Amino acid sequence: MLRFLAGKGVQYALVLLFAITLNFLLPRMMPGSPLLFLVGEDVGFMPAEQRAQIMRAFGLDQPLWRQYVIYLGNLAQGDLGFSYQQGRPIVEIIRNRLPWTLLLVGLSLLLATFVGVAWGLLAAWHRGGPVDFASLAVAMFFESTPSFWLGMIFIATFAAGLGWFPIFGAQTIGIPLSGVAWIADRLRHLALPLATLTLITIPGMFMIMRYAMLTVLGEQYITTARSKGVVERRVMYGHAMRNALLPVATVCMLNLGTIVSGATVIETVFSYPGVGRLLFEAVLARDYPVIQATFFVVTVSVIAMNIIADLLYPVIDPRLRHAR
Amino acid sequence: MRGNPAVDTTTEMAAEVAAGAPVLPLARPIRRRVRVGVVGIAGVLLLIVLSGVGALAPWIAPYDPDETTGNPFESPSGGHWLGTNDVGRDILSELIYGVRISMTIGFLAAAVSISIGTLVGVVAGYFAGWVDVALMRLVDIVLVIPFLPLMILLAAYLGPSFWNIILVIGVLVWARPARVLRAQVLSLRSLDYIEAARVLGASSGRVLRRHILPGVLSLSLAQFILAASSAILIEASLSFLGLGDPTAKSWGSTLYYAQVRSAFLTGAWKWWVVPPGLMITSAVLGFAFTGFALEEILNPRLRR
Amino acid sequence: MRAILKWVGVVLLVALLPSYSGAQVGTVRLAITRDEGFLNPYTYQTGYPGWNIMTLVYDPLFYPDANNEPIPWLVRNTQVSRDGLTWTLTLHPNIRWHDGRPLTSEDVKFTFEYVQKVAHGRWSPPARVVERVDAPNPATVVFRLKNADAGFRLRALADIPILPKHIWESVTTVAAARGFNNMVGSGPYVVAEAQPAQFYRLTANPQYFAGQPRVRELILPVIRDATVSFTALQAGQIEANVRTLTPELVTQFEKLPGMKVVKGAGFASTLLQFNLEHPLLKDAKLRQAIANTINTRFMARLLMLGFAVVGSPGYLHPDSPFYAPGVKFEANKAKAVALLNEAGYRDRNNDGIREASDGTALRFTMLTLAGNPIRIRGAELIRTWLRDVGIDATVRVMEDAAIIDQVWPEFDVCKGRRFDMAVFGWSAPVMTRPTALRDLFHSDCNIGTINIGGYKNPQIDRLGDQLATTIDPGRQKQIATEMQKIIAQDLPVHVLFYPDTIMAYRQAAYDRWVFQKGQGIVNKLSFVDPPK
Repeated sequence: MLRFLAGKGVQYALVLLFAITLNFLLPRMMPGSPLLFLVGEDVGFMPAEQRAQIMRAFGLDQPLWRQYVIYLGNLAQGDLGFSYQQGRPIVEIIRNRLPWTLLLVGLSLLLATFVGVAWGLLAAWHRGGPVDFASLAVAMFFESTPSFWLGMIFIATFAAGLGWFPIFGAQTIGIPLSGVAWIADRLRHLALPLATLTLITIPGMFMIMRYAMLTVLGEQYITTARSKGVVERRVMYGHAMRNALLPVATVCMLNLGTIVSGATVIETVFSYPGVGRLLFEAVLARDYPVIQATFFVVTVSVIAMNIIADLLYPVIDPRLRHAR
Repeated sequence: MRGNPAVDTTTEMAAEVAAGAPVLPLARPIRRRVRVGVVGIAGVLLLIVLSGVGALAPWIAPYDPDETTGNPFESPSGGHWLGTNDVGRDILSELIYGVRISMTIGFLAAAVSISIGTLVGVVAGYFAGWVDVALMRLVDIVLVIPFLPLMILLAAYLGPSFWNIILVIGVLVWARPARVLRAQVLSLRSLDYIEAARVLGASSGRVLRRHILPGVLSLSLAQFILAASSAILIEASLSFLGLGDPTAKSWGSTLYYAQVRSAFLTGAWKWWVVPPGLMITSAVLGFAFTGFALEEILNPRLRR
Repeated sequence: MRAILKWVGVVLLVALLPSYSGAQVGTVRLAITRDEGFLNPYTYQTGYPGWNIMTLVYDPLFYPDANNEPIPWLVRNTQVSRDGLTWTLTLHPNIRWHDGRPLTSEDVKFTFEYVQKVAHGRWSPPARVVERVDAPNPATVVFRLKNADAGFRLRALADIPILPKHIWESVTTVAAARGFNNMVGSGPYVVAEAQPAQFYRLTANPQYFAGQPRVRELILPVIRDATVSFTALQAGQIEANVRTLTPELVTQFEKLPGMKVVKGAGFASTLLQFNLEHPLLKDAKLRQAIANTINTRFMARLLMLGFAVVGSPGYLHPDSPFYAPGVKFEANKAKAVALLNEAGYRDRNNDGIREASDGTALRFTMLTLAGNPIRIRGAELIRTWLRDVGIDATVRVMEDAAIIDQVWPEFDVCKGRRFDMAVFGWSAPVMTRPTALRDLFHSDCNIGTINIGGYKNPQIDRLGDQLATTIDPGRQKQIATEMQKIIAQDLPVHVLFYPDTIMAYRQAAYDRWVFQKGQGIVNKLSFVDPPK
């Protein structure tokens, strides 16, 4: 068991190193200089020596390998760097943004799992019937719609049109609120992005649950069909469900890993100040340190979730305790 | 998340889980077969209709989509059923011609990704050993890298152009099919007659060509169709974010212009945003239904 | 008990005091486009609206009025020597920093020396003309310039905000300055709250020397998406927007009850930039032919729905004070064809594209910015028109940083260029500078020009040098007229149109905005009257 974990550990370390190196190189291979975003739009009027002074001050004139070594060293110390654009330590920026993303994606994942599992159960129960068929059709429809399209239609209808929800942001600006009003305000801003994200995540959960149930049920069906006597359908479904939850749990845990990047498009559409949107803005602005740091944070979380999944798997499914 | 090849659709996840356990027998009620058949037919029909529209575009479309044939921002009328866009071009015509662009991008990107995926999957599954470990680690790496941010990054790096988009999507979407196909090859490889062939000294090339590849081809096809479905969605997202090619008139770019020219504010979204979204959904659905049905039918692990 | 009542009374009195100042509106929410750092001179991000908002918190010595003419602000008295080399300025008394300390000539001297030591993209160049600054007494500043400078008043005195010496003297490097989070200025507004990338809250400075600001509190939410910001304005979630209203929204907003829409000239330009070093495009006749195929009137009507002024070939907007009347351009396709034939460009191999006499085909790539849909549409139109006369121009959409890399590498004109043509544009302040024509077309890249096409004309260089050192407005206008006439012939750039500045705001919330010609309503004058 320990040897198995050590082997996996080395593999994940390699993945991490590869990802870090890729993260470092990719932004640097992109066209354009970060100077625009160091100094602002008026940099064009600056004479060359002063531009060079600024480049020196920010270390952009160092050879690539030297920048890489510095980067690795900083990472090891937990220093994620300083944003050229915002003039703030990146840890601070991410710390401000991360909770919003975690809130949005965490809640939607929870909701989607519950709804998806229940729905999958329902469809499997009525397997073959019109309910099952209709469910499949609806699920596939929502899995096929572009998330941003759905989001913008929601904004146009419920926010701009009916005025039930705010149009942008995570909170109302400038008005100090407290207690219930504070929570209500946050929830109102969360409602539409949450609804959109959940709506497009549910079908995935639904399909896995339904498929897994049917897979397991197939076996049980044959077994019980051969046995004499009446078998409680409910008991059969109870057993099936336990086994079917396994792939659901797998998908859940892998989804957790993509938690911070999964909602990028949604955050952009709803102007929701999360990490996904931060990454998008940073890429457009060629803010190298923020791009690197956000990638790093996301990669680490994905690996962490994979590790947790690897550890929990044998616990959930006894068959895998002696896995290769 | 959806659109993420790491966790897209469910069938291969379940297959992964089952890969660690003995293959389970599954009874197939007749009704299920019929239902899969209906879904498959619906999908194929959708694809045929869409392809037909795309092929017959010059005859179906009322106007040349690149020509200014009305005033900008016109609402739907007899002359323009879906109104005009920001430069006075007919939206309906743009959508009809858009079938060609969007479907082409979908097919080409899927082709790139399936080529890579099949190669990797088959080599890994057949040769096993360290080749398998290395390739699967590569697959893991590709899957671990945050998909959407990488997509944005690559699109931004390579620049907005038709071929770059295809490349970006292809390079990101190959990993999942590789996994599925590898699983397929693994199970094929353990079949008695193939073991026998290898023991008897048949060269790898021969075994691959005559036994493995044919067995994998049909699943490849199913994966291809599913990849195309992802590709169309991804292209739409990229275009909408402004990272696509706005001069290629895909549905995604129609949505881009609608959004930046305030369609959501002027009420124009009802005829400028909803139709392209529905087109995208139909295309994706068509591919998804077809691929789903194909996979159900062709995946031997699910048969037995 | 008595003591408590007394304090309650004092508190009530103090709380009620502001309302005695009269005519002060409560809160106005003005959406800005992006995060502006710490709203101080070294961390604000954009020319517009960043500089405009930052100068609500900090004051330059002068400030541009509604006609973009610099008027004295911190300064009470100005004396300029005959030769334009010595400027003696007397400051207003009672100017205080937000932390209570007085603003004196020491701060002015410190500021002008600071921006030369700690590089700043916008202010280091105009400040370099200052040879020395003296502060003989706390209320007097004497500038000694190296040479007469036409742009000194507008680009230095009316642009550079004064920094508090006691706070900034310890910030000695560019990196430190770019990360310095101090927001103590002398301006009419105090930064009460700054949430990264979310919003800023500015409150009126009750001790402001020029009088009470007319709005008590300004909330500036950051809304990056243009559509979202206008949706918020329409829905009443904000009262004003720094963005100019897009053409398709004008009629709709004009019909909204309570919404006021103000239209005025816009000084930002949209133009077709040529690479003058390109072997084919260095031929003026070819450029003129290309320009003649472009129906700018049609463009203004189709792309901007009429809310734009057709481009003038001398670059300057017809409403600009230096505009040379009579410098106009009318596109004529027949003339384009005639010019092409005359210059020897014919389709020698019947492929529909003309070739030069040496056989090189007239095939070009036209770059345009990805984030600007109007420019993309414009590029597509130009491509169609060029095709009609046998010139092939492929449109390539690129992102901001990628375009800059090819057109203006590292923002240094000296670093060359790698493009054929580009649909480009300049922001409004470029037009308001008296030295605009020199900045745009002078061939010496070392003086910090924006001549990204690499245009070289010794006549223009000579006139440009004169323009930079002439301080007599009449003479300036003469030189400018001559320059415009030459540019209109040579066409190193072809101006397509100038989008109008259209600002919408909710009247009931606040209605005393001041429209700065060519620029808009977001400026200090909208909140505070000029000091007497």
